[in-house]
Amino acid sequence: MEELAGRLAALDPDAGAAVQVIAYFDRLVEGRAGLEALVRGAAVLSGCPARLVDKTRQVRVRVEPDGRRRDENGPVRPEWPSVPLTPGGAPAVWLERTGPRTVVDAMVLERTASAARHVLDRTRGRAPVHGPADDPALLETVLDPTAAEAARLHAARGLGLDPDGRARAIALRGGPQMQASLSLASGERALVQPVPGPEFTDESRLGVGPAVPVLELPRSWSAARTALRFTAEGTDQDPGPRIVHADELGTLALLAVVVTPGTEPPPDVRALDQAAAASPWLLPTLYAVITSPSRRTAATALNVHHSTLQDRLAHAESLLGWPVRTPQGHLRLQLALAARLLTRNQL
Amino acid sequence: MTTSPPPPFDPELAAALAVMGEQAPTTLLPEWIPMVRGLGDDGPFDLPTNEDLSRNGAFEVEERTVPGPEGAPDISLLICRPTAAPGPRPVLYHSHGGGFVLGNNRLGLGVTMEWAAELGLVVVSVEYRLAPEHPNPAPVEDCYAGLLWTAENAKEIGGDPDRIILAGGSAGGGLSAALALLARDRKGPRPIGQMLLCPMLDDRNDTPSTYQMAGLGVWDRTANETGWSALLGEARGTADVSPYASPARAEDLSGLPPAFIDVGSAETFRDEDVAYASRIWQSGGQAELHVWPGGFHAFDDLAPQAALSQDARAARLRWLHRLLGE
Repeated sequence: MEELAGRLAALDPDAGAAVQVIAYFDRLVEGRAGLEALVRGAAVLSGCPARLVDKTRQVRVRVEPDGRRRDENGPVRPEWPSVPLTPGGAPAVWLERTGPRTVVDAMVLERTASAARHVLDRTRGRAPVHGPADDPALLETVLDPTAAEAARLHAARGLGLDPDGRARAIALRGGPQMQASLSLASGERALVQPVPGPEFTDESRLGVGPAVPVLELPRSWSAARTALRFTAEGTDQDPGPRIVHADELGTLALLAVVVTPGTEPPPDVRALDQAAAASPWLLPTLYAVITSPSRRTAATALNVHHSTLQDRLAHAESLLGWPVRTPQGHLRLQLALAARLLTRNQL
Repeated sequence: MTTSPPPPFDPELAAALAVMGEQAPTTLLPEWIPMVRGLGDDGPFDLPTNEDLSRNGAFEVEERTVPGPEGAPDISLLICRPTAAPGPRPVLYHSHGGGFVLGNNRLGLGVTMEWAAELGLVVVSVEYRLAPEHPNPAPVEDCYAGLLWTAENAKEIGGDPDRIILAGGSAGGGLSAALALLARDRKGPRPIGQMLLCPMLDDRNDTPSTYQMAGLGVWDRTANETGWSALLGEARGTADVSPYASPARAEDLSGLPPAFIDVGSAETFRDEDVAYASRIWQSGGQAELHVWPGGFHAFDDLAPQAALSQDARAARLRWLHRLLGE
């Protein structure tokens, strides 16, 4: 029979509709539908354009209520109802309409986001773990050096890792929680990624552990936590790298053993902090100098004239009490800035 | 007959089916026909009004009474003429679906008018008598009478008698296929194409897909038996069935106009429709066949927003563009 009555758009806007919304998305998930089908479901069921944007994964899907995909569109408007993909995250799914938000809208958004999160994890290679592996207890086991080898191998399989393959641990701090990870009491989060694996991007500060055989993940985790201590917010108040790879620290990693919780900050770190308190430009200026190939490029990065930078460095030397423009002074400055991060980032 | 389960429904179509419930009934029993017809003015269907069909004045809509088959009552044709298109335009001669027992000549016209708007077609949709009150050959002969009138009077309605395309979905697809056979055998009008959309072609109801879809999807094996039995009575499934009622029975499929056939992989009609296309090719004819994966019967109409529905609709329009060369 052709053209039976009944368009999805004609759903009754009552409690019964909410039940149908659930049934609709359940079937999509059951059929392993893709992102476009999910966003189309949101558009069709709510009767207005719907949009999914995940910047970190470079996903952008927009569908109109007639079911047609039209990604070209203007900016997101703050009054549109929206939900994040994960609790506490940035908005990621929108219904492009104004006015009061209905029960059905809320249900559609919630179901779309929930289904989209799983599809993204499954298809975009973003999630370090999949399926039943979204289990923090498995992560805890695979990173625990005191756990039995058999238990760690079992946990690795549960996390979708090849027991004969390589993987790395990653320590995260701050930023929205984008994927399943293990939250630790000390405030950082842990996750594990197969190697080779998809490129990992995140808005958090990251300490990236070395690639190791799966059974050595506790070592990778320990190194990742150390690397995380060398990260900074990347702001003028707290200049430094947001992502540090343990592999690239070299001998500098040893500094983390000495500068530990409860130790008195080294004199050079105290000197830096005192100087920075008096001169807000000091830390970003010194960081630019130690990370730029030349003082001229440092001046460009700071958007100041070369002679201004020279003046600042002369002033910094008088505040700190050691030269920063000689090779030896430069090394002393690098160590002091690194030690400063270590005193601030104690796990 | 032991059969495997059918192919899974496309996820979006499965989701649509889940929320449509009784709006997309799986089956139809003979005793339900009066009740289903009695559901509101349009029966169970959401039929276009004259205003819908006119598409903001782009078409002039007219109902015309014309002679029926010899010795039978007059029939009614719903005629939609493009107001802007100059000169005689190709004519799309439409036979509606509804399992031979339901619907009227507005059923399925919503989609048809989209093609007409894009290509500037004159649409003629025939109102034929329904079974079981009017068994075979009443429906197909009514349709043929309307086709004869259309070919002979095409110019009067702005149509080109040399460019008539037969089109219909479901039972209307079966009727359109039958019209192509009748026109060939009676040396009547010479349509330039037949558009058979998930057509209902075989009264025997015994292909693997008819068994696979028993109790599933839309228009299952029981519904199919209801429709064919209404049309053919006791003769259904016997040797005594005319190819003009059940085109799959035709022994000769040569000399037919090019066919466009589409069907879902998860519907009763899948195997009979695929076989019909194959037999056209084997007879040296031209056919374009689309089997849409995971589609249930009339999926594009019931869930027009789904990606598969959009693709199925686009394919029909592209075929029309190629057929007409414009």
